Amino acid sequence: MDVWLLKLAALVYLIAAASFITYLFSPNTSISKRSPWILFVGFLFHSAALAAHFFLAGYLNVAQFREAVTVYCWLMVASYLIVQIKYHLTVLGAIIAPLALLMTLAAFAFGRGGEQLPPALQTYWLPVHVTLAFLGNAAFAVAFAVSLIYLLQEHKLKQKKFTSFMKRFPALETLDRLNYVLLVWGFPLMTLGIVTGSLWAGAHWGQYWSWEPRQIASGLVWMFYGALLHGRITAGLRGKKAALLTMVGFFVVLGYFLIGDALFPSRHGGKFE
Amino acid sequence: MHKEIVIVGMNHRSAPIEVRESVAFEEAYVNDALTRLRSYPTIEEGVILSTCNRVEVVAAASDGRLASTAIKSFLADQKARRHAGDLDEHVYTYLGPDAVRHLFRVAASLDSMVVGEPQILGQLKEYYDVAQKAGTVGTLLHRLFHRSFSVAKRVRTETGIASRAVSVSSVALDLARRIFDRLDDKAVMLIGAGKMGDLMARQLQNNGVQNLMVTNRTFERAVELAERMRGNPIRFEDFPRYLKMADLVIGCTGAPDVLLDVHAVERVLKERKYKAMFFIDIGDRRNFDSRINDLDNVYLYNIDDLKTVSEENLQERANEAQKAEGIVLEEVQSFGRWIESLEQVPTITALRQRFDDIRRGEIEKSLAGSLKGLSEEQKKAVEDMTAAMINKMLHGPTAHLKNNGRSDDDESLLYVAALKKLFNLEEK
Repeated sequence: MDVWLLKLAALVYLIAAASFITYLFSPNTSISKRSPWILFVGFLFHSAALAAHFFLAGYLNVAQFREAVTVYCWLMVASYLIVQIKYHLTVLGAIIAPLALLMTLAAFAFGRGGEQLPPALQTYWLPVHVTLAFLGNAAFAVAFAVSLIYLLQEHKLKQKKFTSFMKRFPALETLDRLNYVLLVWGFPLMTLGIVTGSLWAGAHWGQYWSWEPRQIASGLVWMFYGALLHGRITAGLRGKKAALLTMVGFFVVLGYFLIGDALFPSRHGGKFE
Repeated sequence: MHKEIVIVGMNHRSAPIEVRESVAFEEAYVNDALTRLRSYPTIEEGVILSTCNRVEVVAAASDGRLASTAIKSFLADQKARRHAGDLDEHVYTYLGPDAVRHLFRVAASLDSMVVGEPQILGQLKEYYDVAQKAGTVGTLLHRLFHRSFSVAKRVRTETGIASRAVSVSSVALDLARRIFDRLDDKAVMLIGAGKMGDLMARQLQNNGVQNLMVTNRTFERAVELAERMRGNPIRFEDFPRYLKMADLVIGCTGAPDVLLDVHAVERVLKERKYKAMFFIDIGDRRNFDSRINDLDNVYLYNIDDLKTVSEENLQERANEAQKAEGIVLEEVQSFGRWIESLEQVPTITALRQRFDDIRRGEIEKSLAGSLKGLSEEQKKAVEDMTAAMINKMLHGPTAHLKNNGRSDDDESLLYVAALKKLFNLEEK
């Protein structure tokens, strides 16, 4: 049932992605204008899939790739929808919707589902730690989309070449400000995610920080985003450079998420001694 | 009964401005002119349209050719007041579907000098209103104009014909909107007193800019300009100091030397904490160092760049106009179907008339022959019975025809044609 619902969500994400991309070229057609609503429908199916899974299994095994990607993707779509309500930046969906589709497909393609959640993880800390860490990263995913649009718009303005496909791109100032807002939200969430994870590790394994690969990577990414935020606040780091750095940060996170655990098996990757 | 649409007129392509002006209708006299137009016996409905780029008379008449001759003499009359000369070579005439297409194209701004400009639709509506108040609009023109308004709207929403800026200053405004999300909290510095800069600053003010700084080599000129535009005058030697406050900088001097080089802007930028700046260079010579555009968060457009964008946008409009022509054609066809459906009403009457004639003929024959000697009461019963029979028989076809007449489909036209043929109604 939950798998069936997730497949449905993936299908709607596909439709939403197509609709958002249509929006880039002809923003006035009645269907493309409603793209965020289509994505929202996909999000509802996605939510139902997660809820169904939770009630059937009693937990979400986020130590497994499939569930982790599914939950992360769900939070990312949620973050986008919130941004959409406040900023009406439908163009962002042209990146978020395909990304959501890819993640959902990846969950099916590479995910091993149905494994038992190890006893060490059957605690209330798990959802708290994971939700916070994922929410922070979801904000960065949206910031990634914002930055990509920023760079495209900036490039066009510098090259002085415009195509009809650029018509509905938001102003650079809007994008830069939103990028900042997402950083301001994402960074504390990520920090809390790391702190709760560490506290929980301390309580369970008697070790707050064990230098395992995921922790090292998270620490580095945390410092990277911290430096970015600091630069924005004090040194006038903004615009193109800030957008580029935001994208770099997201690629690092995404890369580690996708291949890091396979290269360096650890507790985060499902190995619990 | 059947009326045709006729348009006679001239536009910016068919006639030079002197000729257009000579026949143009002054606003105050349009009413009189409409009355005069209506006094021609061949013209049944009429609307006069008179803008700087076109003078046209849209009319409905039972004989289009006669009406077009009448309109020509009507226009010539108008002209005679000013000076003589032949109008014929400047005037175009459209009849029937061609006239419908022409009006739709005018409304959709496809016939405008700057394709896609938005004013024409408003003007069309105004002149239509005047004619309606003057009582020279009937069913046909009413429907035609309202349809043309909705065609214009459809073209506007379904094509990008009007979505792109084409004048240099509106291109600059459009670019400013791509950089800044709002203009009311931005400051503009205008360097120099060129006409173009003046125009651009005004356009920015009309779009929300409140803080305008004006500088000029002669300070008095700057003061005068600032007063006129509700800005703050700044001494020329001081302007680099104020530059850090400006988000948009318009250079419009005739100075042969470069006013700002890339290093000066770099310093300003650092002071502004790299907040974006937009430089618009529209002086006779280059006012700003072209390398400024290479700095992050700074955008420099000179007059040639703006013109290039404007030309691309015009090209884009032309492409969109192709799409718009398709829409117009579609609408002309559907309007044509509506006109033809008007003919269904006479068809129904003619059909009833024909059946009734037959009925009466037969009753008369019978009453004179085999039914001779019926009482008045019986005669009336026969009369009622046959009338009821005809009514019942025709009820279905009539209802069907009336219902179909409301939708502009081909099917109903087919029925009308079939009925006319089957019952020989054409001779009427």
